[in-house]
Amino acid sequence: MTTVTGAMLAQVVVSGLLAGSLYALVALGLALIFGVMRVINIAHGTLLMLGSYATYWWFTYLGWNPYLSLPAAMGLLFLGGVHDPVDEKPLEKRAPELSSLLLTFGISISLVNLAQLAWTSDLRSVEFLTGSYLLGPVAFSKARLVGFAFALGITVLAFLFLGRTKLGKAIRATAQSREVAMVCGINVGRIHLLTFGVASALAAAGGSLVSVIVAIQPEMGQVWTFKSFLVIVLGGAGNYPGALLGGLLLGLVEQLSSLYLTTQVSEAIAYLLLVVVLLIRPTGLLGGRT
Amino acid sequence: MKRLGPALLALGLLAWLALWPLWASGYRVRFMLELFMWVALAQSWNLISGLTGYVSFGHVAFYGTGAYTAGILILRADWPWPLAVLAGGVTAPILALLIGYPCLRLKGPYFAIAMLGLNEVMRVVVSYFDGLTGGGLGLSLPTLHASVPVYYAMGATALGATILAFAIITSRFGLRLMSIREDEVAAEAMGIDTSRYKLYAFLLSAVAPGIAGGLFARDQGYIEPISVFPLLTTITMIVMCLFGGKGTIFGPVLGAVLLSVFQELVWARFLYVHQVLFGVIIVAVVLFMPKGILGVLQERYRLPRTI
Repeated sequence: MTTVTGAMLAQVVVSGLLAGSLYALVALGLALIFGVMRVINIAHGTLLMLGSYATYWWFTYLGWNPYLSLPAAMGLLFLGGVHDPVDEKPLEKRAPELSSLLLTFGISISLVNLAQLAWTSDLRSVEFLTGSYLLGPVAFSKARLVGFAFALGITVLAFLFLGRTKLGKAIRATAQSREVAMVCGINVGRIHLLTFGVASALAAAGGSLVSVIVAIQPEMGQVWTFKSFLVIVLGGAGNYPGALLGGLLLGLVEQLSSLYLTTQVSEAIAYLLLVVVLLIRPTGLLGGRT
Repeated sequence: MKRLGPALLALGLLAWLALWPLWASGYRVRFMLELFMWVALAQSWNLISGLTGYVSFGHVAFYGTGAYTAGILILRADWPWPLAVLAGGVTAPILALLIGYPCLRLKGPYFAIAMLGLNEVMRVVVSYFDGLTGGGLGLSLPTLHASVPVYYAMGATALGATILAFAIITSRFGLRLMSIREDEVAAEAMGIDTSRYKLYAFLLSAVAPGIAGGLFARDQGYIEPISVFPLLTTITMIVMCLFGGKGTIFGPVLGAVLLSVFQELVWARFLYVHQVLFGVIIVAVVLFMPKGILGVLQERYRLPRTI
C-alpha cells in the first residue's frame, strides 16, 4: 500500500464532501416521506433514475443545459408525485409500514423494467462540464463542484421551506402527530400528497445532478434508495438537519475507505457502518425518533 | 377417516414426483427441479416475512451464500457435494445472525432496507475475495452428472421447508410470530420476547435458501456473482408467496406452482415485460388481495386456518 500523503487526504475529504452533498439532497426527500407517512419509499431511487433520464433526453434531443433542466425535472416529478400511489386508504388500517414497503417495492420494479423496455439497459451519459479545477494539489471535478453548489442550495431552500413557510410547518406538524395536526385544521391527506411531491422533486433534482457525473441506466436507483436510507439512519430518523450531516458523513466514509482499501469495498464499508450504527446508536447521531 | 383422503392424495403426489425422473424427459425433470427450488425459497420467505411481517428484500443473499459455500468446499476442499450443500445450509443462517441481530431489534423498515442492501454488498464481497471465490470470473465445478440426485435433494429441501412451515404455523412459536405481525407492541406487552422470536424465524428462513443455492451451484456447475445474487430471484419468491397467500402453509406452494407454469408458458420469453408484471402483481395483491389466493379461498369456503 502506498503511503497516504496530506494532499491525498485533502483530495479525499473534498471528494467525500462533494459526493456527500448529493446523498444529503436525495436522502432529505426520503426522510420527508418517512417522517410524514411513516413509509420508506423503496421507489425513491427509481424516481431519481427518472429524473436522470429526463435530463438526458432533454440534453440529447433538445440540447438543454442539464442544470437548466433541473427545475423542469423537479417540476415534472413533483406533478407525478402529487398523484402519490402510496397513500391508499386500505393500507392505513393494518401494518401500514410493511404493506407500503411491499407496495413501493412493486412500483419500483415495474418502473425500472418499463424503463428497461423503453430505453434499454445501455449505459448513457450526459457529456457536459467535464474536467476539473485545480487548487494546489487538490482537483475539484467541475460537474461535482457545481452539483455540490446546487445540492447545498436546494437543501437550504428545502430547510427554509420546512422551517419558515406555513405549508412547511404543516408538514412538520403532520410528521410529529397526525391526529393533533388534524385537530389543528391541517388537511392531512393534502399534506401527504404535497410531501410526496416535494420528495419526488428532491429525488429528481438529485437525478439531474448525478446525470452529468455517473452513467445512467434503469437500475441505477436501487443503490440510491439504500444510501439515502443509510443517511437517514446516520442522521436520525425524523431529523431533517441530520440528513445533511449523515449525507456528508457517508460521502467522507466512502472516500476514506476507498483511499485506505479499494473502491470496490467502499460499498461494503458503508454497509458495515449501517450495522454498527444500528447496534450502538439506533436513534442516529443527532438523536430523533425511531 | 376424514383425514384419509388428503393423506392418500399427498402420498400419491409424492410417489408421482419420486418416480418423475424415471419417465419424464430431462427438460421436464429440470422444470420440476426449479419448481422445487421456488417452493423452498417462497416457503422460506414466508417464514420471516409472511409470519412476522418483516419484509426481507434480500433473501437471495442466503441463496448466493449457500451457492458459494458449496462451490468453494467442492472445488477447494474436495468435499463430496451432498456435504458441501448442507454446509451452505449452515453458513446462510450465520450470515442471517450477523444481519438479523442488529436489524431485527428495531421496529419498522430498518430490517427491510438492510436486506435490500445486503445483496449488493454480498456481491461486492464475493468479487473482492477473488482468491477464494474466483471473483468476477466465477467458479467452475468439476463436471458431474448428478441431475437426478440433485432433483431428489431439491425435492427433499422443498418438502422439508413445507414441513417446517407446517410445524411452525401450527405451534405456539408460530402464534407468537403472527402476534408480532398483528401488533408488535401488544405482543411485547403480553411477555413475548419479540426480538428473539423474530431472530429465530429469520435464522430458520435462511436454511433452505442456503441449501437450495448449494444445489443450484452443483447442478449448474458454474457460479458467478451475477448468477447467484440476482434481485430477480428475491422478487420472484416474494411474488410467489404473496400471490399464493402469505402466512399460510400451502400458499407459497400454490404461488410457486402457478407462477412457475405461467413463467414457463409465456413470460420467460419477454424478460422485462415479465418483471413489469411481477411488480404489478405485487401492487395488486397488496392493495386488493392482501391474503393471496389461498387467503381468499379460506374465507370463501371456510377452510381451516392451518392450510
